[in-house]
Amino acid sequence: MKKFVSLLALATISATGLAPLSPVDAAEPQPRPGGTLTWGVTTEPSCFDPHRSSQQAAFFVARNYIDSLVGKRADGTFAPWLATEWTISPDGKVYTFTLREDVIFHDGEVFDAAAVKANFDFVKNPANAANAVALLEYFSSAEVISPHVVRLTLSKPDSTFLESVSNVKLGLISPKSLAKGDLCGGGPSLAGTGPFVFERYVRGQSASFVRNERYAWPPGYAARRGPAHLDGFSFRFLPEYAVRTGALTSGQVDVIEGVQATDVSLFADDPQYRLLIGPSGASTSFTLNINYTRAPADDIRVRRALRDGFDPEPIVRQVYLSHVKRAWSIIGPANPAYNKALVGAWGNDIAGANRLLDEAGWTQRDAQGFRTREGRRLTLDVGYPQPYVRDNREILIQGIQAALRKNIGLDLNLRIVTAGEYAKGNATGTWSIYPNTDNPADPARELWDMLGSKGFLYTKVPNPDPEITGLIDQALQATDPVAKRALTDRIQVLGVEKAFIVPLFAPSWFLAAKTAVRGLGFEAGLDSPSNAYDVWLAKE
Amino acid sequence: MGSRALWSRVVARLGTSIIVAWASVTAAFLALHALPGRIEDILAGDIDTPGLREAIAAEWGLDQSLLAQYRAFLSRIAGGDLGTSYVLRQPVREIVGSQLWPTVQLALTAGVLAVALAVTVALLTAGRGRLSRKVASAIELVLASTPVFWIGILLLMLFSFTLRWFPVSGANGWQSLVLPAIALALPTAGLLAQVLREAIEKALDQPFVTTIRARGVGELTIRTRHLLRHASLPAVTLGGWLIGGLLGGAVITEKVFGRPGLGSVTLGAVLTHDVPVVLAVVLLAAFIHVAASTLLDILYLLIDPRLRTA
Repeated sequence: MKKFVSLLALATISATGLAPLSPVDAAEPQPRPGGTLTWGVTTEPSCFDPHRSSQQAAFFVARNYIDSLVGKRADGTFAPWLATEWTISPDGKVYTFTLREDVIFHDGEVFDAAAVKANFDFVKNPANAANAVALLEYFSSAEVISPHVVRLTLSKPDSTFLESVSNVKLGLISPKSLAKGDLCGGGPSLAGTGPFVFERYVRGQSASFVRNERYAWPPGYAARRGPAHLDGFSFRFLPEYAVRTGALTSGQVDVIEGVQATDVSLFADDPQYRLLIGPSGASTSFTLNINYTRAPADDIRVRRALRDGFDPEPIVRQVYLSHVKRAWSIIGPANPAYNKALVGAWGNDIAGANRLLDEAGWTQRDAQGFRTREGRRLTLDVGYPQPYVRDNREILIQGIQAALRKNIGLDLNLRIVTAGEYAKGNATGTWSIYPNTDNPADPARELWDMLGSKGFLYTKVPNPDPEITGLIDQALQATDPVAKRALTDRIQVLGVEKAFIVPLFAPSWFLAAKTAVRGLGFEAGLDSPSNAYDVWLAKE
Repeated sequence: MGSRALWSRVVARLGTSIIVAWASVTAAFLALHALPGRIEDILAGDIDTPGLREAIAAEWGLDQSLLAQYRAFLSRIAGGDLGTSYVLRQPVREIVGSQLWPTVQLALTAGVLAVALAVTVALLTAGRGRLSRKVASAIELVLASTPVFWIGILLLMLFSFTLRWFPVSGANGWQSLVLPAIALALPTAGLLAQVLREAIEKALDQPFVTTIRARGVGELTIRTRHLLRHASLPAVTLGGWLIGGLLGGAVITEKVFGRPGLGSVTLGAVLTHDVPVVLAVVLLAAFIHVAASTLLDILYLLIDPRLRTA
């Protein structure tokens, strides 16, 4: 167990510092070039084009062949990348980027201001229906000032814009590739500037990559310049937990992602392997979002009863053993904007929750022991879209369901719904409770996504709470970091106080690798394993 | 039956096959559009940018009336164009084409294996000692009722993770086909062997067996030349079910073994309302169904001369 704790500590260091991962690494000789490795992953991306994809699993793959204008450091600040420097006009609406002059796309095209403009124009053009357009809400135009200076103009100040620019979704693809059209199928025609070239995609099986020999432009926080160490690597898509574990222990793959809780000790205790635990909820925590405009959850007493009617700690521990922690805020604990004041500030007040429900008139009980009012059972639906169910999260919700029934007689009705049913509830604003984690971006953007008046959850809900949506709008436009921090802190508290949200746990990435595999880490801006740029193979 | 009668049957079959294909894609088309949720909302997912949904709808023609979409779809199919996947954004022909062979390869290998296993076991145990029949029957029942999924994991644990004889995943060479084919074949073989043995035992009681025995023909010859033919009629009746079972089971097997194939593509397409992909798979399934039942009809005639005079 002690070993495991030290691993946890190491993982935390790596998450915050992006430094080499363990003292073993530090004592090792210099990384050696060469070799290939195979990486077993859970999810096969349905689209490899970062502009179009909406899957976390795709972004972490895309970082191997896609670079961005700026990079995000683990502390939340920004580092030069394909842009060497940038200026922001005093009104917050004009961003001018000076670009590196030595960058070449995988297909031989030169990276310049025109290429940047082509990418932003492509994403912004509604006819292209690229998902990344969500990040360009206030972007109005791109202008080539000189071959290596590009100016991006916004219609409104957007405190999250640099964050968006650093996001892989707005990463840069060769204009020649863009012109060719649909790039979802990957392969060499999806030409970026990243440290690896997309060699081949075999649907249902694998995606393979080879080193970009020309690469000399890693993000400013990288420890070195120059090409990647590995000659190449491939992802193998192994959706079954047990199969991934077996593939690693039998030496058929070198690294796996998605180690299930019960297999963690298998790798943590064996010197042949190392276990890496990723940044815990650098984006948002896994959270129950309660539609507070729909009865019976329009009554704050019902929402607070749901929030306080169970103890998340033992339920989270039961599902994830001791490997992940319960959450206190919708923003994850590894996120710099996490509001620590919420720790210990709410939850697990069963007597209080029962009192609230009594006050709200839910005083009768039906044959199954659920509370009723005027003959109607106290039921709240949780609509969990099937494609997003993973990581035993439905089991976690079932645990909460059982606890709420026993503790306060509330019927939390978990329904696994189709993507279509979810989309319908969302489009009509009639969803009830939606459990999710949000892709990372700027904290104000995360809060906007989940609670903002035009975020995806509340956009079709009539009359969302003016106080919280107003604060979120302010946070989005605040360019002063101190003022913005005060706003995001307040919104996190308000969300829990009004019980619009019930944060449950902070998910983590679990990697296991052969000890010979060095240089694995996590990328803050992506909230995922970092790309294979720093990975190398020690002699066994 | 003359060759002419046979031909007219085949032609009639082809005619019905087109009707079956049309009816099934139409049913699938209607079912997909009757499911809750607009396709453009599903494709846009959690993104709500003004104009995005409209752009998606325009891109795929979802802004037209259902009838217009249906008509456009039929004329495309008639021209051999299966369209482009909404989600994978690739030509459906390419997606299905690249995934078809691994699935067919797996289902065929498993099918041959299942038949070979079932025939061998049934021939060896039918009408023999009570104990051997009981043991075989018990094993078959267990296999027939065990999920492919679980058999797959067990095989992997033993032969891939522990003994390391076979690779865990992929579709590279025959080695990667062995375990998935066995996993898929075992439940089918279990059921088939039960049916075959019962049929052989029934045939064993027939007077003609006594007649053949009286001529001094050896037991093995009786079983392989005479009894098997009688017993295969009920087994062939199961053939349609067998093909469906193998193709359906292939979906699960592919997932466990991380093999490429139609399985994961179809599953994903249904979950995301990827209409063009689902319709292409339905069309394919309809044709396989028709082709298989035609083949089985012909097989009946070959096996049982009594049917030919009818």
